[in-house]
Amino acid sequence: MRFSRILMLALLALVAGVAIAFLTPSSSLLGLFAQAVIYAIFALGVGVLLRQNGLTSFGHALFFGAAGYAMGVILTLDWFSAEIAIFVVLLGIGVLAFLIGLVIVRVPGIAFGMLTLAIGQMAYLLATRSRGLTGGADGMSIPWPSTLFGVKQSVLLKPDVLFLIVWTVLIVVTLAVVWLLRTRFGSITEAVRDNEERARFIGITTTVPRALVYSMSAVVTGVAGVMSSLNTGFISPESLHWSVSGIALVMVVVGGFKSVIGPILGAIVYFLFKELLGDFATYWMAIFGAALIAVIVFSPDGIAGALERLMKPRHTRANATSKSGH
Amino acid sequence: MTSYVLETRDVAIHYGGVKALDGVSLTLGKGQILGLIGPNGAGKSTVIDAITGRRPLTRGQVILDGQDVSQLGAVERRRLGLSRSFQRTSIFGGMPVRKQVELASYKMGMSDSAADAEAVLEELDLARLGNVMAEDLGYGEQRRLDLALALVGRPKMLMLDEPMAGLSVKESHDLAQHLKALTSRWEVSVLLVEHDMDVVFGISDVVTVFELGRVIANGAPAQVRADPRVREAYLGSSA
Amino acid sequence: MLTINLFNGLVYGSLLIIMSSGLALIYGLRRVVNFAHGALYMLGAYIGFTVAMQSNFWVALVVAPTAMAIFGALLDRYGFRLLQDREPLSVMLVTFGLLLILQDLVVFIWGKANHSLFTPELLNFTVDLMGNQVPAYRIGVIVVGLTVALGLTLWLRFSRVGLFVRAASTDPVTTSMQGVNTDAISAGVVGLGSALAGLAGVVAGPFLSLTPHMSSDVLIDSFVVVVIGGLGSLAGAFIAALLLGMMQAIGAVYMPQVSVLLPFIFMIAILIWKPSGLAGSRT
Repeated sequence: MRFSRILMLALLALVAGVAIAFLTPSSSLLGLFAQAVIYAIFALGVGVLLRQNGLTSFGHALFFGAAGYAMGVILTLDWFSAEIAIFVVLLGIGVLAFLIGLVIVRVPGIAFGMLTLAIGQMAYLLATRSRGLTGGADGMSIPWPSTLFGVKQSVLLKPDVLFLIVWTVLIVVTLAVVWLLRTRFGSITEAVRDNEERARFIGITTTVPRALVYSMSAVVTGVAGVMSSLNTGFISPESLHWSVSGIALVMVVVGGFKSVIGPILGAIVYFLFKELLGDFATYWMAIFGAALIAVIVFSPDGIAGALERLMKPRHTRANATSKSGH
Repeated sequence: MTSYVLETRDVAIHYGGVKALDGVSLTLGKGQILGLIGPNGAGKSTVIDAITGRRPLTRGQVILDGQDVSQLGAVERRRLGLSRSFQRTSIFGGMPVRKQVELASYKMGMSDSAADAEAVLEELDLARLGNVMAEDLGYGEQRRLDLALALVGRPKMLMLDEPMAGLSVKESHDLAQHLKALTSRWEVSVLLVEHDMDVVFGISDVVTVFELGRVIANGAPAQVRADPRVREAYLGSSA
Repeated sequence: MLTINLFNGLVYGSLLIIMSSGLALIYGLRRVVNFAHGALYMLGAYIGFTVAMQSNFWVALVVAPTAMAIFGALLDRYGFRLLQDREPLSVMLVTFGLLLILQDLVVFIWGKANHSLFTPELLNFTVDLMGNQVPAYRIGVIVVGLTVALGLTLWLRFSRVGLFVRAASTDPVTTSMQGVNTDAISAGVVGLGSALAGLAGVVAGPFLSLTPHMSSDVLIDSFVVVVIGGLGSLAGAFIAALLLGMMQAIGAVYMPQVSVLLPFIFMIAILIWKPSGLAGSRT
């Protein structure tokens, strides 16, 4: 798909977001939509890692929660203005993740997943136990200032405004990811994922590109963390628990990790199960678990894969055309 | 002293009591084709692994164009112009043909990687398949792609590990002619490991015979063919 | 104080031996990281609780693991076997989905309140251990743990089925070509591993309370043990389990803030140094 076409789709999505904001009658529903969008950004980060590096992270909640805690600490101690704080936090997460990545991307297969699980759980346990500024198991509130980027907090936190903000952030971040993956950097990481040995034999050092992808995925998840901290004004160790990472991974798989937007679809499905089905069935988690199993067994490419198969006509090998770069 | 493109000095790879390579010394000049033959298990693929840095040396040195690369990794050796293809086809299945060849060219620092890639694709008759996903190619086409990935970026030294494996007689012959023409035109030196005797003796400038990790004969094709030790160990009376 | 902590460390370590040996067996044979293992532990505890209410603890000790064994065998036959050509991640996530289902199932049947399994009368006394009073039941737990460890080791090493299991763990294709029914063995081993999880649940009942979240914590510790010990290696898991129990016990005394992090730090260090774990040779 040409990038200009993608930009158009993004614009359409933006318009759709405005429409949703206007037309949704209840503000609590809009609040739920905003949460769903935040889940979607989180899942996007986890999905990028799986797609580009072939690595499964069970610990991305680390970056999600760390973003929230960092904002909380910085704003409480009044080190920077909120606008600068956001930038600093995301940069910090990027750098930290890159350094961690340099070490851990070399660990293969399941061991990588276990490593991320361990790192994530350590953060969770540390957060539960550190009383004082971060509030231990109770968490801490995040003192956002009265104006952010010139906009009054009272306006910012209105359900339709907040929804539009996170919706726009989702679109922008997705565009950034798609663009990055189409650059040389994207090709290099694709090659490394496809055939690591041959990648080395055509001159690609394989550790740095993969660490960069890990860093990128961490920053995306960090963005979700910042959005979440704005949405709730609060952060607690629960945001760092491995089950949160696990759910994000499930969203990625259900949505389809081969497509960049697959994870977003997965997040929407999760939200639908949780909020809509949850009203009718207390055991929506079990149904979601069953849905997960069904997807893996019958459509390993997830929902995005199924959609792609429905939309593309079959082609023969004789006049094979290139599949979309997604 | 003539300067060689590639020189190995007493290269050995020992592991667990096995001497896969036991003191191999080879030289290869610019634009030369060295054909490496020997029975299975003689160490032919291992010597390519040793030279390209895929496996660590127990002892010895590998010298590329006068520079000792023995301590360098595979990535650095490739960037210095030492390229290889694989016996078991190793390509990027999920990427289109043109994209991966161009990427390989780019990583070699070619200023116009697209043009370089296109030239190689034309040479190997892959240009018309440029947009096809590598995993959708036929076997012979994939072998050529494996070769293309090694050929881009004007390497100085090309190590080919059984490039004809699985190809028909005609395909092998065509490929051999391609290689001969290419290497003389681009002044690439080639070390060719191959079982097809006709090909090896047909295009090589020098033939080296391996047995049990050692060189047992080395010289011009006719000379090697006539060597009694070689006939006994490997060629048999039918050669 | 230290003695008591070491003792408790040994107790928890023994529990982990039972849990993680099941996990290691299943991974060794099927290459599956089984998230549902934690749910089986929980189910074992809850089923044990119900059975114990109806009759007594000892009956529960037999019924719960048996029930889990049947479940495990079915899980292998209709789950792992059919998915064996899929990527490990997919199967892992299927077990995760199963965990979600089973967690809700427990709430559905037993409700959200916490329950307790009462210590069986036979072991409801204290013993003097170097000046400290320890519950005899906990000594029982250590005995069970060591019995399991010893039993499994002997079985794998000296029995015919054990030989087949070791062979199938190393090379399933060749083993089945030799005429060994690897599918039956797999179902048996997964059944056994699941029974062990159930056993751990019942055994843990009297000294850890039954909650719908109990699967989570033990599961993580079991993962840590299995990974440190070497994915698929039983001996490694046994040593790692005891080490972990000890580490947490000693850490609780001397470095309480950090002690809970130690297992993870250890696991991270091992994984980075040797991705296949201490004793394992395959990833």
